[in-house]
Amino acid sequence: MRRATRWGILAAALAAVGAIAALAGTTGSHAAPAAKKTVIIGWAFDQAGQMAPFDNPALAAAKIRIKQINAKGKYRFVINTCDTQNNDAAKAKACALSLLGQGAKIIFTTCDVDYATPVVQETINRGKLAIAPCIGTDQMGPRRFGKKGKLAFSFGNVAQDEGSAMAEYAYSRGWKTAGLATNTRLVYFKNVVQAFDIRFRQLGGKIVDRESYATGQNNVQSAVTRLNSHKAAVYVTSTAFGELPAFVSGMRSLHNNTPILNSWAGDGTYWDTQNPKVTNYYCVTFASVFGDDPSAAVRKMIASLTAAGSPPGTGGFLGGADAIDGVYTAIKRAHGSLKGAVLAAQLEHFNHVAVLGSKVSFSKKWHTVFGRQYRVIKTQANKAKRVGLVTAKVLPKIH
Amino acid sequence: MRRALDALVQLGVPALLVVAVGLVATTVSASNKVYFENALVSVAVVVAIYVFVGNSGVLSFGQISFVAVGAFAAGVMTVPLESKQGVLSTLFPLLRDHTIGNVPSLLLGAGLGGLFAFVVGLPLMRLNGLAAGIATFAVLEITHNVLQQWTKIGPGATTLSLVPETTGPLQGTVGALVVIAVAFAYQRSRLGRQLRASREDSAAAAGVGVHVHVQRLWAFTLSGALAGFAGALLVHQLGSITTEQVYLEVTFLTLAMLVIGGLTSLWGAVVGALAVSGLDSFLSQAEQGVHVLGLKLDLPSGTRLVFLAAIMAVVLILRPSGLTGGREARLPWPWRRG
Repeated sequence: MRRATRWGILAAALAAVGAIAALAGTTGSHAAPAAKKTVIIGWAFDQAGQMAPFDNPALAAAKIRIKQINAKGKYRFVINTCDTQNNDAAKAKACALSLLGQGAKIIFTTCDVDYATPVVQETINRGKLAIAPCIGTDQMGPRRFGKKGKLAFSFGNVAQDEGSAMAEYAYSRGWKTAGLATNTRLVYFKNVVQAFDIRFRQLGGKIVDRESYATGQNNVQSAVTRLNSHKAAVYVTSTAFGELPAFVSGMRSLHNNTPILNSWAGDGTYWDTQNPKVTNYYCVTFASVFGDDPSAAVRKMIASLTAAGSPPGTGGFLGGADAIDGVYTAIKRAHGSLKGAVLAAQLEHFNHVAVLGSKVSFSKKWHTVFGRQYRVIKTQANKAKRVGLVTAKVLPKIH
Repeated sequence: MRRALDALVQLGVPALLVVAVGLVATTVSASNKVYFENALVSVAVVVAIYVFVGNSGVLSFGQISFVAVGAFAAGVMTVPLESKQGVLSTLFPLLRDHTIGNVPSLLLGAGLGGLFAFVVGLPLMRLNGLAAGIATFAVLEITHNVLQQWTKIGPGATTLSLVPETTGPLQGTVGALVVIAVAFAYQRSRLGRQLRASREDSAAAAGVGVHVHVQRLWAFTLSGALAGFAGALLVHQLGSITTEQVYLEVTFLTLAMLVIGGLTSLWGAVVGALAVSGLDSFLSQAEQGVHVLGLKLDLPSGTRLVFLAAIMAVVLILRPSGLTGGREARLPWPWRRG
């Protein structure tokens, strides 16, 4: 009996090796047929984890946009996907290598630069273009990835641009004093508020208080209480996750009805609290998903997504469609070249290039979009609607 | 002669298994190679934990702190200088303006891991039972928060990127073998035997002259050094790292690997690490949709964790002492009699 047990142990150990070895004979289920003028795009994304609310709508929009582009004829884009499983670093790295092994020439990655790093590094190390549909910092590029970062771009809005647009909107509304609350968890959150701070003061506004909190630190209520003791025309933050409803409902629970202005992170109504209801709340975003976006193409895209069973919850979906448009334009301008360096050079020269939702620009310094026209959304009693449009005139220096 | 043969088997069988994994890694696609490399690094981490937890019988939630220290030390010091001054500009000048090679970074990880373990072990190793477990958990929390907030020693809450990816199948295999060899040598040494005696009966061991606190401190320090070394292997395998990757999830996963394999043996540590890594990797692939032996397997997202947890529970119900029963590898029965 004991002998049998020991042989069983050895069998278990060998089975462990065998389980790994079985991978050697596995193949992905998304292999794409090779054909002339076919461009394989690898899409490494977080299907069901923390970044899923951002990654899935971008992918859904990209798929629809690709169908529309493919119908025109000259190129046939194919998207091969790989789930990074909550952006586990090893799995994300394996995803990137798997997609590259399937012949992908351009790799798309998740909407946060820290989570995206394993995928971006594997991609740019092999001379391929790495694109994020909605990373919102200046980190997607040489700033984070050194010289090879020339191959990394994001079609999200760079935080400096977004914070600046928020400041210009606030000042244009006659809000001359602001209280700031910075969520220190993400670089994007921090950079948006930094940019607002600088641009708002440039315009003549006054910052009456600066507070901070962090996702997961259970300290947002303290920040709200301190902010509440400083009278301001507007309170500004950039946050999402559980801290967003906590911040807004916390302020309203103190009977403080001062306007709250958030970045794209606070778009949508999925987080709205019922008691107290979300009121006098503003955010800037890529597109309005509330049926009143000024662009007919965007409204059509929203209708297509809804018909496909993926109604967008926030305007972030547009990053996926805009990125496909941008890559398509870069390929056309590069006369069909798919080399990372050639495409990167084209992208760096984007200056108000028309994409589905707006016009976008990059530069050698800025590898994340600036110059997009933001939709300003106001939520009143849990009802959201577009109340304005704003485009940043200045990119404040925050570093 | 018999004892020498037993020793050879106890060291040789786990080593051969690791070499087999390393060899298979060289034959698979680039994407699947990542999983093999990850399994080899997991062996190094779990064996490092075993050196203290397995030999002393004291549960520690803090060993991943030393993995983190080793990973960030090796990572920060190997980012190319021209990139470091732009990407990691807030570091202390000593860290920002210098860079080192692959092997020195592995040694640095081991050295700092050992030193850190020695310092925190001085007060902690006097504790027993639940108090020791909670205190080591406190070490993990403190380390995590310091690494996450102090941008003069690392990237803070952001990802440390641009780390050279030097841990391939060769470095992973050699690294795991080094850790296994050191762990084996320690458990066969006088110090290791004294600590194992204290694991069985602390009072009796103290009664025959074993200084339990000192023995635990040595094991904790050695475990810290090996964990730091494993952390350096890890960061060179991934090419990037965040503080979240060396925190709670990996703490519990590696402890689970050790328990499933068999807490009290080196063989158990190796088997547990490889078995759980293999299963985890296979289920990850299955969630993407794979063809295995002509059959298509396409599991829904999230089933990996459910399967993994269920299989762990089943293994522990059927074999509470782990897959190896906590025993070292031995010759099959007919050869053992003589």
